[in-house]
Amino acid sequence: MYSSLVRLQNTFGFFTTVIFVVAALIASTDFITPRAPVVSTLKTNSVQVVRGRPHYYSSKKEEYAVIKFSLEADLSSLFTWNTKQVFVYVTAEWPHTPSAIAAGNVTENQAVIWDQIITAPSSDHLANLGPAAMKKLRKSAAGKSIDPSRGKLIIKNQKPKYQITHPSSKIAETDNVVLKLHYNVQPWVGLLTWNQETDFFKWKKLKNGLSKKFALPAIKTKKTEGQKGSSK
Amino acid sequence: MAEQLLEQVRDLAEGQIDFEGQKLAETIANVALSLVGAIAFIVGYILQDIKLALLITLGGTALTFVVVIPPWPFYNRNPVKWLPVGGGAAAAIPQNIVINEKSLG
Repeated sequence: MYSSLVRLQNTFGFFTTVIFVVAALIASTDFITPRAPVVSTLKTNSVQVVRGRPHYYSSKKEEYAVIKFSLEADLSSLFTWNTKQVFVYVTAEWPHTPSAIAAGNVTENQAVIWDQIITAPSSDHLANLGPAAMKKLRKSAAGKSIDPSRGKLIIKNQKPKYQITHPSSKIAETDNVVLKLHYNVQPWVGLLTWNQETDFFKWKKLKNGLSKKFALPAIKTKKTEGQKGSSK
Repeated sequence: MAEQLLEQVRDLAEGQIDFEGQKLAETIANVALSLVGAIAFIVGYILQDIKLALLITLGGTALTFVVVIPPWPFYNRNPVKWLPVGGGAAAAIPQNIVINEKSLG
């Protein structure tokens, strides 16, 4: 500590230790904060299978499914001081092989139909929005460091962001399809976490995150409000 | 004249402090930074505001830098007393030189 340069180096060196310890403490507070995400509604509104080019870059015609859905969920307990953003996505999942169908293993096929980034007020500046929408977003949480009400999702008759296809190009008349809500909590410091299949200490698993089973209809038959909307 | 000025600038930039001052500076740096970290975490957790915790940490660290790095006068209150140049006066040399607790006087 004889000269200014040595004092600068020593002080900065200890500062890095302090900031590491503080970051570790912040990350560990995640584990003492309870999480209890609940889905109250997750259902299809209309299911349609079309034969065509699902993307402008598709080289061949194939069958694709368009699933409109409604979602009501309360993920507000995921928003703590260490939450940067929560990524929410809905998948359609269905078994394919007979053994998987018998075992009820729905995750054999998984396709995302919709997703959404929910920023915490501390990361609003990172949201990919235009100036007007950004202003509105910032205003919605003015003066608040965390805003759990952003975790309350009420989405009705939502058009899917992504139409889903299958490598076989065949997707019509698929049975035992379910919608599933997933989330991914991205913290400022600490562990990236997904929805759990089991409870983990104070973190409860996502309640009620599956929709009822439904079937994809035959091509071009359109059925609304059909939970069992099969063409057969 | 120019050389004297240069010497002063060099001293200021190097910022030498005495031995007691070095001990004091190290203690201040460690205690202040630890306190800043603890306060930032506790205040941030209570107010549930991670931005505030970061600001407290960075602000407190900047303050610690200002206190510790420049050669403030209170770090130079115990200057080392050197023997006179040339050693002409033999009386100035201590009669009892102690090395490894044995007197060589």
